[in-house]
Amino acid sequence: MKKLYWVFIVIVLFFAGDRIFGWVLKQLTGKSQFRYTRLYEGKAKADILLVGNSRGLIFYQPYIEEITGSKTMNISYNGMPIDLAEVLVKDYLEKYPAPKQMILDVSMCDRLNKSLISGFNLYTPYSPRMYDLIHLNDQTGAVAGKVFHLYRYNSEIFQRSMFYLNKTDEDWLLDRVINDAMVTGITEYVPDTIKIVQRDTIKPGDKKERLFKSIMSSLTASKNGEVEYVKGVMEHLASTVAFAKAKGVDVQLVINPYYPPYLDKLVNLDQLKAEAEKATGMKVHDYSNAVKDKEGFGDYQHLNKAGSRIFLDKLMEDGVLKK
Amino acid sequence: MIFNSIAFFVFIGIFFPLYFALKGRARLFLCLVASYFFYGWWDERFLALVAFSTCVDYFVGLKLDNTEDQPTRKKLLIASMVVNLGFLGFFKYFNFFIKSFQEMLTGFGYDGSMHSLKIILPVGISFYTFQSMSYTIDVYRKEIAVEKDFIRFSTFISFFPQLVAGPIVRASDFLPQFQKDREFSWDRVTAGTGQIIWGFFKKVAVADSLAPFVDQCFQAPETFGSLHLLIGVIFYSFQIYCDFSGYSDIAIGLARIMGFDFPDNFKKPYFSRNYSEFWTRWHISLSSWLRDYLYIPLGGNRGGTFASWFILLVFMILTVFLTGWWWLAVIYLLSSVGTYFYMQKSEYNNKNAYNYMNLMNTMLLGGLWHGASWAFVFWGFLHGSYQVVQRLAGPIWNKALDTIRTPKLFKDILAMGLVYASTCFAWIYFRAPDFDVASQVITGIASLEAFNFGSVINKFWVIKGVMVIGILLLVEILDVRLTLWKVIQTNPAFRVVSFVLLLWAIAFFGSFGANSFIYFQF
Repeated sequence: MKKLYWVFIVIVLFFAGDRIFGWVLKQLTGKSQFRYTRLYEGKAKADILLVGNSRGLIFYQPYIEEITGSKTMNISYNGMPIDLAEVLVKDYLEKYPAPKQMILDVSMCDRLNKSLISGFNLYTPYSPRMYDLIHLNDQTGAVAGKVFHLYRYNSEIFQRSMFYLNKTDEDWLLDRVINDAMVTGITEYVPDTIKIVQRDTIKPGDKKERLFKSIMSSLTASKNGEVEYVKGVMEHLASTVAFAKAKGVDVQLVINPYYPPYLDKLVNLDQLKAEAEKATGMKVHDYSNAVKDKEGFGDYQHLNKAGSRIFLDKLMEDGVLKK
Repeated sequence: MIFNSIAFFVFIGIFFPLYFALKGRARLFLCLVASYFFYGWWDERFLALVAFSTCVDYFVGLKLDNTEDQPTRKKLLIASMVVNLGFLGFFKYFNFFIKSFQEMLTGFGYDGSMHSLKIILPVGISFYTFQSMSYTIDVYRKEIAVEKDFIRFSTFISFFPQLVAGPIVRASDFLPQFQKDREFSWDRVTAGTGQIIWGFFKKVAVADSLAPFVDQCFQAPETFGSLHLLIGVIFYSFQIYCDFSGYSDIAIGLARIMGFDFPDNFKKPYFSRNYSEFWTRWHISLSSWLRDYLYIPLGGNRGGTFASWFILLVFMILTVFLTGWWWLAVIYLLSSVGTYFYMQKSEYNNKNAYNYMNLMNTMLLGGLWHGASWAFVFWGFLHGSYQVVQRLAGPIWNKALDTIRTPKLFKDILAMGLVYASTCFAWIYFRAPDFDVASQVITGIASLEAFNFGSVINKFWVIKGVMVIGILLLVEILDVRLTLWKVIQTNPAFRVVSFVLLLWAIAFFGSFGANSFIYFQF
C-alpha cells in the first residue's frame, strides 16, 4: 500500500508542477510584445489589419503608419495558412472595434500548414476557435495541450514570443538585397505551380486508426468554435472576407510583388487570382509585377524594406491603402 | 501498434491487470494472444508469416532433438535457414537484387527492363527472423535444450515488447525465464517504469524533436549552408540513437515489469573511445548476434575459411559491375594479390589478414541487414574499414600520444571525438536516400559556405534540439560519473523527483504525433 502512495505522489507532483509552470509560462508570454500575444491580451487595437504569410510581412508597419497616420496590426507569419488566418482575423474582429481596413495577400492561399497551426497551442486558453482548429489538424496535440499545460509552450511560436519579450515585432522585415547566386540561378529555376489545395475531411489511412480517431474526436471536440473543416481553402478565404465585411471593415485583397524573373516561372498565378475572386466576389488587386528593381527584393518572393516602401506607395496611389 | 500511440496505452492498460491476474498457462496464452494482436494491429496479413516461421523452427527444433545423425541434423538446420532467410530475402531483398541485376545488365549494354514486385516489408521481419534462427542454431550446436512447449516457444518468438524492433533476445537468455511464473514485484515495476519513461523521453522529446530538421536537410541539401548541414548530420546521429535506444528502453522496461530480464541494447555509444568499443555499446543484441553466428564461424580473429574470401569476392564483383568503375577491379586485384603475399609471409600475418576479412564481411552483411540498399552496405564498409584501420594504426597512435605525454582525459576526449566524427560521417550514407544526396551533404559541409548561425534556417528546431541533446548528455554523464540510475533505483524520493522531471521534460519538449520508429523499416 505504501508503494501506491509513491505513485500517487508522482502523479500529483507532475500535474501540480505542470499547472504551476504552465501558469508561469502563460504570465511570461502575456508580457511579450509578440503580435499574437498582443492580439489576445487586448493590446492590438488598430485602424488597419494586415494579413498574409511571410509575404504579408512586407506590409512594413512603420512606413504604413507614417504615410497613413493610422495604427496598424499585422497578423502575418511565415508559412501561415488561410485557415489559421481566418481564426486570427475572426478572433481579432470579435475582440476589438472593427478596423477601418483589412488588407489580405491572397497568395497565402497556396498551402496548408499543420505544424504551424499546432504551434499556436499556447493561445488556446484565449480562443476556443483556435482550439478547434488545432484539434482538427492535430488532434493528439490539441488534447495533449489540454491535459499537459507545459505542452502548449512546446513550439516555435512560444520561442518567438520570448524573443519579443522586451521589444517590438513591428519592424520584422528583410533588410537585405537578393544575392547574386539567386539572381543568376533564376534562369535554371524550374517553373513553379501554385497549389490550390482542397482539404480532405478524413485522412486516408488505416481503418482502425480512423475508427479510433473518430471515437476520440467525439469525446474531445469542443462545440464553441466555428471552424468548418469540410471547406476548401478558398472557402476559408471567403468566410474570412465575409466575416470582416459583416463587421463593416473595408476589405482589400491583393497579390504582393514577386521578383519579376521568378514571377515568369509561376504558371498559374492567374488561376489563383480567379479562384479567389470567384470565392469572395471581390476584385483582387494584382501587384505581383509592381516592383521591378532587384534592389527592392530580399529573395524571389519577398520585398525588402526599400521594395516595401515602393509597393506601399503604389497601394496609396491606387487607393487600396487609405488614410 | 507503436509504443508512442494512444492505442498502445489502452492496450497495456488492459493487458497488465490481466497478466498479473492470470497464472501459468493462461498467462502464457494471454502473452501470445496479446503479442499477435499487437503485431496484427499493423497488418493482420503478416501474422501468418510470424506463425509459419515459428512453426518451422519449432518442428526443426523437435527433429534436431530426436536425431543424433549429423548429416540429418545439418539438413534440418539448412532447411530452417532456407525458410527463414528465404522469407527475409523475398520480402526485404527481392526488389533490391532485381534492380541491381537490372543495372548490371544495362551497364553491359543489354536491355535491363524487368518486372519488380510490389512487396510490403513486414515490420520487424529482420528482428524475429534472427531471433528464431538463433534458437535453431543453438539447438543444432547443442548449446540449449529444445523447447517442447509450442505455446511457450511461440511466445518467445512473438513477445510483443521486442517483436518489431528488438532487442534480439537469445533463446538461452529468454526461454528459461518462461519456466516459472514471474511474480509481481514493486521493485520491478518502478525500475521498469523508470526505463520506459526514459525511453519515451529519448523517443518523443529527443528523436522526434530532431526529426523535422534532419528530414529537411536530407530532402534538399543543396539549398542549405554548410553549418545548417553539419547541424543536420549531428542531429541525425542523436535522432537515430534516441529513436532506436528509446524503443529498446521501452521494450526492456515493459519486459521488466512483466518479470523478464533482457540484456542492455545500448550503453552510451557516443562515449566510445574506439570502434570495437562502439560495437559493444551500439545495438548490442545485433552486434553480438553477428559476432556469434557470423564472425566467429568465419574464423573470427583466429583465422579464416573459404567463406571469408568468398563473401568479400561477391561484394567486390557486385560493386565493380554495378558502379561500372573498372579501376575498382584493378584496386581489388592489386590489394588481393598484396594480401595473398602478405599472408604467405608468416602465420601471424595470415591470421591478421583473415581477421580483417572477417571483420569486413561481418560489417558488410551487418550493413545489408539494415536495409536493401547499397548505401547501407557502404555504411557497413565504412565501419569495417574503421575497425581495420584502428587495428593497423592503433598501436602507432597510442605510442605517439604516449611519447608526448598526453593526459588521459585529453586522450579519451580526443578518441571519443574521432570515433564520434567518423561515425557521423558514416551516418550520412545511412540516412541519405542515395549516394548523390550523401555526396551533396558532404560537399555542402566541406565547402564551409555560409558557416554562420545567421544562415541556419528554422532556428527554433536548432534551439530545441540543442536543449534536448543537452539534457540527454547531462543524464548520461551523470550516470557515468555518479551511477545515476542506481541512485534512482535505491532512493525512493530521488526516484520520484527524477520521474517527475522527466515527465515534465516530455510534456514540454515532446512530439505527440505518434511518429513511427526508424528501425521498424529494418
